[in-house]
Amino acid sequence: MEATVSEKSSPARRFEQDYAAALGRYLSEGGEAPLQQAYELGRLGLTSGEGVLAMALLHHAALAAVLRDAAPPGHSLAREPARTIERAGEFFAEAMSPFEMTHRAIGEANAALRRLNEALEEQVQRIALALHDDAGQLMVAVHLSLDETMREMPPGIKARMSGVKALLSLVEERIRDLSHELRPAMLDHLGLVPAVEFLAANLGQRTGLQIKVESTLSGRLPPQLAIALYRIIQEALANVRRHARATRVRIHLSRRGNTLRCTVSDNGVGFDPAATVRSALPGLGLLGIRERLNALGGTLRIQSGEGRGTRLEITAPLQQVEHADSDSPRRRPSGGA
Amino acid sequence: MGRERPAGHLRSARSPSEGEKSIRVPIQSSADILEARRCGRELAAELGFPAIDRTLVALAISELARNIVLHAEEGEIRIARDERPGSAGIVVTAVDSGPGIGDLRAVLHDGYSASRNLGLGLPGVRRIVDEFDISSKPRHGTTVTVKKWKPR
Repeated sequence: MEATVSEKSSPARRFEQDYAAALGRYLSEGGEAPLQQAYELGRLGLTSGEGVLAMALLHHAALAAVLRDAAPPGHSLAREPARTIERAGEFFAEAMSPFEMTHRAIGEANAALRRLNEALEEQVQRIALALHDDAGQLMVAVHLSLDETMREMPPGIKARMSGVKALLSLVEERIRDLSHELRPAMLDHLGLVPAVEFLAANLGQRTGLQIKVESTLSGRLPPQLAIALYRIIQEALANVRRHARATRVRIHLSRRGNTLRCTVSDNGVGFDPAATVRSALPGLGLLGIRERLNALGGTLRIQSGEGRGTRLEITAPLQQVEHADSDSPRRRPSGGA
Repeated sequence: MGRERPAGHLRSARSPSEGEKSIRVPIQSSADILEARRCGRELAAELGFPAIDRTLVALAISELARNIVLHAEEGEIRIARDERPGSAGIVVTAVDSGPGIGDLRAVLHDGYSASRNLGLGLPGVRRIVDEFDISSKPRHGTTVTVKKWKPR
């Protein structure tokens, strides 16, 4: 199969030939039949994974070939160039029409994903608060009533109850951590950098990863941007932990003008970013990062290669988010409005 | 929307608002799709639809007819004009007496089959027309009615 790399596989060749033949027919005869063929070919191209650019190039190559074959100067196609160009355009629009359906579907899916994201964020915040406030309060009450009961216990049982109390404290701690992971109160109270530092320290403790957080940011970010970046860093770190087999991670946050820049680099095994982007199911983590950035008008660049570690570079505009801020009813810690 | 007749009535052709007879094109094989497209495009041109919308009408007809060939073997595409004061539209009705669709919601959802992952098929049609109505009864067939209005 790899023997003749320069030659296209026969289905692709066949596709080009069919396209050129149908285009030639439409240019010289017009009519519905070649237009239907254009639609069928476009649909075939779409379902077999041709991109929009590939289709545009294919169309122009086919048009050039048809005109070359109709070279004699007296030929009708050459005599009426305006008419020929108009018809070629009609044919092309027909071939691209199935892509219009995909295009609209993606727009719809993106909007739905964005709404879903917002709903999830709200839900997560509710759960985090419930864990922190409700479960936390209950744990305090349990401790108090245990203490009270223990006062009336014989020493032997009391000692065993101390063990139970120690376990309860672990549960309490775990709930606090969980609540923090879900929605760090620190993010609201102290801002992004302390929250990320806390996240890094926690993860480092649990996994042995050496995570360094550097920041030249000053002042507070708009809350929507802060939570999005926090989640992105969280996802990036989760990716590192799951796939990278790294020992060191460096997180760098800076700001230039209106642009916030964040890089997350590791010394792990790396991967082929092109392959991940191309595959039908890109890592959900990367997808999540892209989606969050999309909503912010930000960008993501991935630099990686087998054995070269991975570096994510994220940029996001500071300004836009400040406008969009009003449609996110989020708890403010204090002061403010 | 929602005013169309239930499925399975191959004979009751017109909805009351249509002033003129609808054109009926029987669909049995992909060769018949050509005629349906031609009629749709002609009517769209007659009503003064711009180029993009003429193409979208042909596209909707193709996808609906393709569905008939694929799932019902036999059916019909009806094309009619819907003219009201201040607006002109095309009504395309795809009727078949095929197996019908058990779960309409699933079929209107992207990802139900490989091609729908790309937003083709019925979900795709829904996105390129202005009104979309579907009714189906298992074992009695399916009726899909779409309208495309001439943009002002």
